[in-house]
Amino acid sequence: MTMHILRVAGLTGAFVLLHATAAGAHCFIGGRFFPATLNVDDPCVADELSLPTVTTFRDGGDPSTREVDISGEFSKRITSTFGISVAGTWTHLRPRGEPSVNGFQNIETTFKTQFYTNAPHEFVLSAALSVEWGGTGSKSVGADSFSTLTPTVYFGKGFGDLPAGFGALRAFSLTGQIGYAVPTQSQSLTGEIDPDTGLAVSAPNPQFLQFGTTLQYSLPYLKASVVDLGLPEFANQLIPLVEFNLQTPIANASGSDAVTTGTVNPGIIWVGGKYQIGAEAIIPINRASGSGPGAIAQLHIYLDDLFPTTLGRPLLGE
Amino acid sequence: MNGLHIMQKKLTSLICQLAVLALATGTAEAHAQLQSASPTVGATVAAAPAQLTLTFSERLERGYSRAEVRGPGGRVDAGVTISGNVMRVGLKHLAPGTYQVDWRVLSVDTHKTEGSYSFTVGK
Repeated sequence: MTMHILRVAGLTGAFVLLHATAAGAHCFIGGRFFPATLNVDDPCVADELSLPTVTTFRDGGDPSTREVDISGEFSKRITSTFGISVAGTWTHLRPRGEPSVNGFQNIETTFKTQFYTNAPHEFVLSAALSVEWGGTGSKSVGADSFSTLTPTVYFGKGFGDLPAGFGALRAFSLTGQIGYAVPTQSQSLTGEIDPDTGLAVSAPNPQFLQFGTTLQYSLPYLKASVVDLGLPEFANQLIPLVEFNLQTPIANASGSDAVTTGTVNPGIIWVGGKYQIGAEAIIPINRASGSGPGAIAQLHIYLDDLFPTTLGRPLLGE
Repeated sequence: MNGLHIMQKKLTSLICQLAVLALATGTAEAHAQLQSASPTVGATVAAAPAQLTLTFSERLERGYSRAEVRGPGGRVDAGVTISGNVMRVGLKHLAPGTYQVDWRVLSVDTHKTEGSYSFTVGK
């Protein structure tokens, strides 16, 4: 198992290093700006800070538990096409009829490269390896004691290259990611004892396919590249969008209670010169994904704009 | 409280301080975005303009910012002048038709941006 994971990580790293090409600071691809989205990671490497991201929802348990997450993520370019981000989340759980529980989730680190950029076609591809470091969070809020590796591929595509006859439809864009989460332990102890055998009970740690996509309509792009409708400046800085997330168990799921879960998140992002603010509703796709709508909001800061000569530039090279 | 929790609290504190510092720093420039254009993006104008004016959100570096205008008969731009955040592009006589403007600029904090749009000169 460990050899398999190391092989996956090694292949991802080799792929990443072999395909590095030029990229710019935060996510401008040609005339298209892809904002940092709240659930699906944007397809670029950048110097940026998401803090805070506040999420509230009721989970899929029965009875369900109200969960509030406050998280932050710091992303730093090492070169113009390779970056590392570190993320942490503080979780507050409020189960019905039981005392509340607080604690940190496991720390997560992502190593990401932007390996293909096609400015005329507003198209970008990136690849990353995310590591959730087992045992760095609190078991009381469900943090795993084992680590999980997730190789992921990201894409972004703007439709500004469509013929002029498509008019305002050219302001649409898509981004997305597809990843495969592999726990470093195939099973974990549940903490229960089998009454028949007296032995500790263990449960499998499934491997998940993770998929996410966003459909965005960029009013900044509409104004600057398609048609200036004379809208108020505030409106010209808005990007309405819908995010869709799905994760489904693929392997080692037999005997576990893992099922397909996901959410649909309609919302809006206001894009300023140095930061952006986003807010979305969270609508679960099934009962296992949540027992009602939730919400997420985020302040996202462009460090490359705020500190262009120091913190906001790559450590190496341009 | 174990060492990991202390480390996480310190990391959280560091990130919070970074966020406050970032928001408190209001003097930096940003990526130069096209704020307005004359003729307007996507517009149809009755008379051929003699000059194109592009106004950006940030000041531009003169030597590294340019624009090209192409129409049915090829390139029609005739020199660029830059003053602060405004770029002016001289134009040759424009016959009726649709023209594409391709701009590429460097803001004074060294961020590159680019874009394109079209306008039409009416018949």
